[in-house]
Amino acid sequence: MLSERGRSDRGSSGHRGHSGPWDPGLQIERTTLAWSRTALAFVVATAVVIRLLAGTDVVLAAVCAALTLPLVVVISLLTWRRYRRDERSLHREAPLSDGALPGTVAAFTVLVGGLGLIYVLAN
Amino acid sequence: MVPADSETEPRRRPRRVYREGSEPDPRFTLANERTFLAWLRTALALMAGGVGVEALQAAQERTSPLGTLLAVVLLTGGILCSITAFVRWASTERALRTGSALPALRMAPAFGSGLAVIGVLACIFVLVIGF
Repeated sequence: MLSERGRSDRGSSGHRGHSGPWDPGLQIERTTLAWSRTALAFVVATAVVIRLLAGTDVVLAAVCAALTLPLVVVISLLTWRRYRRDERSLHREAPLSDGALPGTVAAFTVLVGGLGLIYVLAN
Repeated sequence: MVPADSETEPRRRPRRVYREGSEPDPRFTLANERTFLAWLRTALALMAGGVGVEALQAAQERTSPLGTLLAVVLLTGGILCSITAFVRWASTERALRTGSALPALRMAPAFGSGLAVIGVLACIFVLVIGF
């Protein structure tokens, strides 16, 4: 699956059976950390929106909390599952995960923005 | 290289990304994913800014049309940013699979000048609200 350059870039430390990481660039780990940072940003953004909505409409804030916060937990769990699956895929030279999770998270971000707009317009 | 539509390959979504080309170097796929996530965090920062402006107005117990406009612009910008982030991720992944040129960052000039306008609006807003 890797291009010829990709294979040669791994160097001796990149091959299984040698010391050092299998992927010297730690690509999957960096990507998973980027997912974690994004999930954290979601928690902060949704918590702020919910806290502010609570001042305007408690029921709406409760509904938003029930909709968004469990979703953040689900996304975090899916991220770690994706990490393990992608690592296995890299070892087997199989395709990486698809765009289902990125698409879902993008849609979720739009939802958070929509909630923010509701808050602004309700005020 | 395994063809994209081989029966042995699991169904991957979105189909318009994976129905063509072959698997690219995974480093490029992962870099594309991290760029997408960076855009999402930018979108969330814009949204947090929008909600923050509104909260500031609420705390001051005075609402100015400029403040509301700023909040709406920031939130709409955040929503647009997250939509275009995914569209860009998809077109970049497709380009990586087909070996074609990466899509141009067309929204960069609009995004840069938009942020400049938002900055000016925010300055005026702060002066109006009296900090």
